[in-house]
Amino acid sequence: MKATGQEVTIVMIEDDEGHARLIEKNVRRAGVHNEIVPFTLGSQALDFILGEKRDGVANKDRYLLVLLDLNLPDMSGIDILQQIKSNEHSRRLPVVVLTTTDDEREIQKCYDLGANVYITKPVDYEGFATAIRNLGLFFSVIQVP
Amino acid sequence: MTSSAAFLRSSLLMLGLGILLLLGIVGYSLWLVEVNRSYSDETASLRRIRSAIIGVLTTVQDAETGQRGYLLSREKSYLAPYDKAVADLPARWKTLEENLRSRPDYASQLDELKRAVDGKMAELANSVSLTEQGRFDEAYALLGTDAGLQLMNRIREILNGFLEHTDDQLRVLIERQLAAAENLQWVTIGGAIAIITVLGGAVLVIFQHVRDLARAREEVIALNAGLEERVNERTQDLIRANQEIQRFAYIVTHDLRAPLVNIMGFLSELETSMKAVTAYVIADERTPSEDDIREARLAVTEDLPEAMGFIRSSTRKMDALINAILKISRDGRRKLQPERIDVKALIEASVASVQHQLSEQGGKATISGHFGAIVTDRFSLEQIFGNLFDNAVKYQMPGRPLTLSIALRPHGPRQVRIAVTDNGRGIGEQDLERVFELFRRAGAQDQPGEGIGLAHVRSLIRNLGGDVTVESELGRGSTFMLTLPTDLTKVFRSNE
Repeated sequence: MKATGQEVTIVMIEDDEGHARLIEKNVRRAGVHNEIVPFTLGSQALDFILGEKRDGVANKDRYLLVLLDLNLPDMSGIDILQQIKSNEHSRRLPVVVLTTTDDEREIQKCYDLGANVYITKPVDYEGFATAIRNLGLFFSVIQVP
Repeated sequence: MTSSAAFLRSSLLMLGLGILLLLGIVGYSLWLVEVNRSYSDETASLRRIRSAIIGVLTTVQDAETGQRGYLLSREKSYLAPYDKAVADLPARWKTLEENLRSRPDYASQLDELKRAVDGKMAELANSVSLTEQGRFDEAYALLGTDAGLQLMNRIREILNGFLEHTDDQLRVLIERQLAAAENLQWVTIGGAIAIITVLGGAVLVIFQHVRDLARAREEVIALNAGLEERVNERTQDLIRANQEIQRFAYIVTHDLRAPLVNIMGFLSELETSMKAVTAYVIADERTPSEDDIREARLAVTEDLPEAMGFIRSSTRKMDALINAILKISRDGRRKLQPERIDVKALIEASVASVQHQLSEQGGKATISGHFGAIVTDRFSLEQIFGNLFDNAVKYQMPGRPLTLSIALRPHGPRQVRIAVTDNGRGIGEQDLERVFELFRRAGAQDQPGEGIGLAHVRSLIRNLGGDVTVESELGRGSTFMLTLPTDLTKVFRSNE
């Protein structure tokens, strides 16, 4: 997965280490070999994406794809989504919301805030693996700005 | 109800009193009128007596005058008064006798009078008859005897006595009549005053009653408004409780699902790894290839332990979550035991249990304000303050000694407000509600914990009919505002 000739980095914000591991395994199985930077805490992820000052300037010549879990211990994933999408430097970054919730309103809210894809983590693993692998296919066709 | 019964009683009393007074006045007036009439009758009868007495007296005098004139002039014309008197006397006498016969005070002298009058008239007749016959000397001689004069004196004496007696009686009667009239006047004045008093009292009672009614009406209106407000409040509470339950269910299902995803996922991973191991162990009479051996090794040394580790930790996590939910549910279902508690003393005891950790870092706690005893559940209250103070110690700002201040003050008529203020690291604005949610925490995750404490505090205090909210400034500190009803038993009675 490349964008204008540069490798895209996948930022994975996921507090559950097991989930993180499973996502990584399946992303790799889908043939995606981009670098994955994992975060378990929202604030640390935001530090990375928007910079310590949260100005987003760091994204000038960097290409990120964000995999976001909504339920984090220190802050809400919705807040992270909002911050990414309201910063002019980061609002074009594709954000994939990947969470266990399939609440209609929650999904709606994420799309309203600018989420590009919303994926529910199914309990059955086949579904889960399929979803992640499809995501890998999606990654291979997506044009990251 | 009591006011209306009292009103009925007092107005009936007033009415009864008024009627009695009126009856008394009317009765007394009627009696007085009756007495007056009898006085008038008596007066009329006495006047008749008087005129009858005078009638007899003048008739006799007229007779004497006529006789004298005739005797002196010997002219027949002078005899006219005598003749008229003789003709009138029987009727006059009859009138007098009729009026006096029934009165013993007169009757006793009536016969003597009769004799004197008859004697006098006989003497007069005798002298007139002698004169008519020309026997003037005999007639004069008859005059010369004092018999006629004595009889006349006697008649005058008796009749004058009668007149005096009658006049005395008349005077007494008039005096009595005047007294009766005066009595009537006084009774009428007294009656008027009494009626005005009773009327005034009745008007006052009615006025008071009307005022009471108006006040009661106002009270009912106020109560109605209060009721509506209370219904609104309760509805808000219900809506809030419902939203909380939904949020709780959402969190619980989400948080329970997360480890399940792990367990299922790593079971599949386990299966995948097992295939590699199987390929090596059960080689079906062929020598495992280099790849088989490498994959089987990898599976046994890395994938299998990793998968089992995640399955184990996820199971443990689920168990911990379920235990936490159970704990909250158990505390929520626990039967509250209301008792009188000195809040300040209880807070002091709770502070004492974290005093060691406080003074270790150079921190201090102060309790201000005062509030007497309240009736509530001791266990819940201890848990609430225990959790809050533990949090204050846990989330203090590194390098800044903790100052913990607890302020008590009354809040409305039946609530106490307790503010727990710290100078800890604070909570971001977006997390102010979130911290009260189950399994949710805010800020840096540098302290052990599962995100249960504040959720527990909120569910405990709401069980007691109170609530907790938080105000905070990131990096400066937080204030937890607790409101608590002063009497738990009343809260539940009004809830029923």
